[in-house]
Amino acid sequence: MTVTDYFQPRSLPEALDLLGTHGPELLVMAGGTVAMPLINEGISLPRQVLGLRHAGLDRLERVGDELRIGATATLSSLAAQDDVPLLREAARRTASWAVRNMGTVGGNLFTPPPGGDVATALLALDARVVLAGRRGERSVPLAGFFTGFLTTELGPDELVAEVVVPLGAARTAFRKFGRKAANTPAVVTVATVATLDGGVVREVRIALGAAGPHPFRAVAAEQAIVGRALDDAAITAAADAAVEACDPLTDAVASAWYRRRMVRLFVRRALEDLARPASGREA
Amino acid sequence: MGSAIVILEVDGREVEVLASPLATLQAVLRTQLGRTGVKDGCRQGGCGSCTVLVDGEPMLSCLLPVRDVAGRRVTTIEGLGAEADLHPVQAAFLDHNGFQCGYCTPGMELVAAALLEHDPRPSREAIGEALSGNVCRCTGYLPIVEAIEAAVAQPAGREGGSPDA
Repeated sequence: MTVTDYFQPRSLPEALDLLGTHGPELLVMAGGTVAMPLINEGISLPRQVLGLRHAGLDRLERVGDELRIGATATLSSLAAQDDVPLLREAARRTASWAVRNMGTVGGNLFTPPPGGDVATALLALDARVVLAGRRGERSVPLAGFFTGFLTTELGPDELVAEVVVPLGAARTAFRKFGRKAANTPAVVTVATVATLDGGVVREVRIALGAAGPHPFRAVAAEQAIVGRALDDAAITAAADAAVEACDPLTDAVASAWYRRRMVRLFVRRALEDLARPASGREA
Repeated sequence: MGSAIVILEVDGREVEVLASPLATLQAVLRTQLGRTGVKDGCRQGGCGSCTVLVDGEPMLSCLLPVRDVAGRRVTTIEGLGAEADLHPVQAAFLDHNGFQCGYCTPGMELVAAALLEHDPRPSREAIGEALSGNVCRCTGYLPIVEAIEAAVAQPAGREGGSPDA
């Protein structure tokens, strides 16, 4: 079976019209770094493909105290965002230069584990996803966007248009552990954001990647440290709770057994980063 | 639905190709435009041997529908330098034996050339990160990194920046 149509809409409304006309059978693709390998391998056999590269969704701009990231903004463009170190580090630590020049922020939300480092960082930042349909847009918290392995809140007639990130003065830390220094899939990825007041955690978000069927917030780990000083006992409690909450896959990168142990270690390290003065180390 | 004409710039020349809907840039470059320096490795975006520059930026031609690069400027290894006028990176790879079988070389050299455009004096770490998407199964990478470091040290027509002592 060969692809009979490659649609290249020039705008979001045009893309939504094509999606409405040709239905959910249409394969939606932006940078192609996830879809094209499957097509080249014959695992995915779409007849019609919707390419979003030229749909005008690649803007990346700061509006007030939000960063608005178009769905097809490349990972390279995110890697240049020096004023949002957590996103910058997550993007820089994703794949290789050529892949980052092609892969998109929206696409990263649909990358199966152990992918999704940027999605993990976005979760920690409490990002919202703007889903566009022919009848309008709706905005959902990224924390509620993922529903299971390769499933999301996105309706069959909708496209991700934008990801909106609130910017604040919180401390952030990013830890990705892989088996190589660069261009490496995650054994585990941890992204954390916290507000501290006199050494006491007022608010914290801890997001894990490669530790379950999709990137997720380890809420029990967050609750374990809110209102406490970020000391060794609190950090241990959070790391224990994160291990309890995770449900990692076994794949060629690491076993579930190993990933659980690394969740404990890297949640600990990320929180230790946050506990340091200044603004948390980026790793 | 059938093929369509796509116009793009390849190695400094405007070309017109007839491409099926999802034909990859890799397939078009190799089979229609004779650019066999664009290698056909994994077709998964994992080996880097099909790397080309699109408007100067490294991309994987095996994952790129040619229709997406209509009107764009594509550089392959065949256009990076000429046999009588090698790009400094190419000359450095020759001088430092930066290859054995040569299969990864086009991708390696294109990434290295793009890196030097962004960062004329990259650290060894930056060279390693830039090359991390290009797999070599022969040399163990050291001669490749040394070749790029040597290209950095060369003045070779590059504007600005003085050569290393």
